[in-house]
Amino acid sequence: MSDDKVMIIMTSGPDTPRRCATPFFFASLGAAMEYEVTMFFTIDGTLLLKKGMAETIYPKEGGKPVSDFLQDALDAGVTFLACTASTELHDLQPSDLIDEVKMVGGASMWQLAEDCKTVLTF
Amino acid sequence: MATIRGCNLPEDLYYLIDKHVWARPLGEDLIRVGITSVAAKLSGGKLAALTVKAKNIGNEVVQGKSLATVESSKFVGPVPSPLTGIVLRVNEKLAADPNMAISDPYGEGWVAEMKPSNWDAEKASLAFGAEGVTAYQAKLEAENISCS
Repeated sequence: MSDDKVMIIMTSGPDTPRRCATPFFFASLGAAMEYEVTMFFTIDGTLLLKKGMAETIYPKEGGKPVSDFLQDALDAGVTFLACTASTELHDLQPSDLIDEVKMVGGASMWQLAEDCKTVLTF
Repeated sequence: MATIRGCNLPEDLYYLIDKHVWARPLGEDLIRVGITSVAAKLSGGKLAALTVKAKNIGNEVVQGKSLATVESSKFVGPVPSPLTGIVLRVNEKLAADPNMAISDPYGEGWVAEMKPSNWDAEKASLAFGAEGVTAYQAKLEAENISCS
C-alpha cells in the first residue's frame, strides 16, 4: 500500500447534478496536498466524461458547470480512469469520451483500491 | 511598504514570486511564512479554509512543495513553502478564521513558522527588497493581475 495514493470512485452522473461537483473538488484538494489522486468513473459517473456533457450540468443554479470542476481536477494532476463496462451500459464508445480519460477494466479498480491508502465513493 | 497594482507588497519580505508566498526571518533559526495579497486576490477574496497538512507539522517541507491548502468557492489549491525547513508551528487562529490570511496576510494571517534547512542558499532564489518588489511587479504586469 502506498502512503500517498488515494482514489475517488465516481458513480454519480447527470441525474444528480448536486453530487457532481464535490468529488472533483476533493480530488483537486488531494492533489494540492500532494497525494497521487485517481478518479475512477463507473455506472453514471462515466456519462460526465462524454464530450460536451459536463458543460451542461450545473450543481448549483447560477453557479459553475461541472466542466469547470472537472478541468480544475485535470489541471491539478488528477488521473481519470473509466470502466469499460460502464460505457457499454450507456451505449458509448470510448471515442465519445474526453481525451484525458483512460479506459480500463474492473480488475484495475480492485488493484488500484488495494494500492491506495484511502478510497472514497460518490 | 509598496503598493503595486493595488497589491500590498512590503519590501522587507522574501517572496517566492511564482507561488505567491512570503518568508520573514524572525531570528537565527526561525522563519515565518504566509501567502501574499496577490494570492489572497487570486483565491477569490474569501476563503472557506486554510489548512496546514497535519503530516507536515514537525517534518521537513521542501521549497515549492505543498505546505498547506486554501479552499474558496472559486479556487482550491496548494500554499507552497517558500523555503525548505521543518514546520515548527502553525497559526491556529486560521482554523477559526481563514480570512485573516486575506485581511492581514503579513500580520495576524501568517500561516506557519519553520526552522530553515538551507536558508543561506535558498534566500538567493527569493525576491527581496525594492528589487524583489520590482520583479513581482513585472509578473503582475505580464499576467495582468491586480488586487483592486
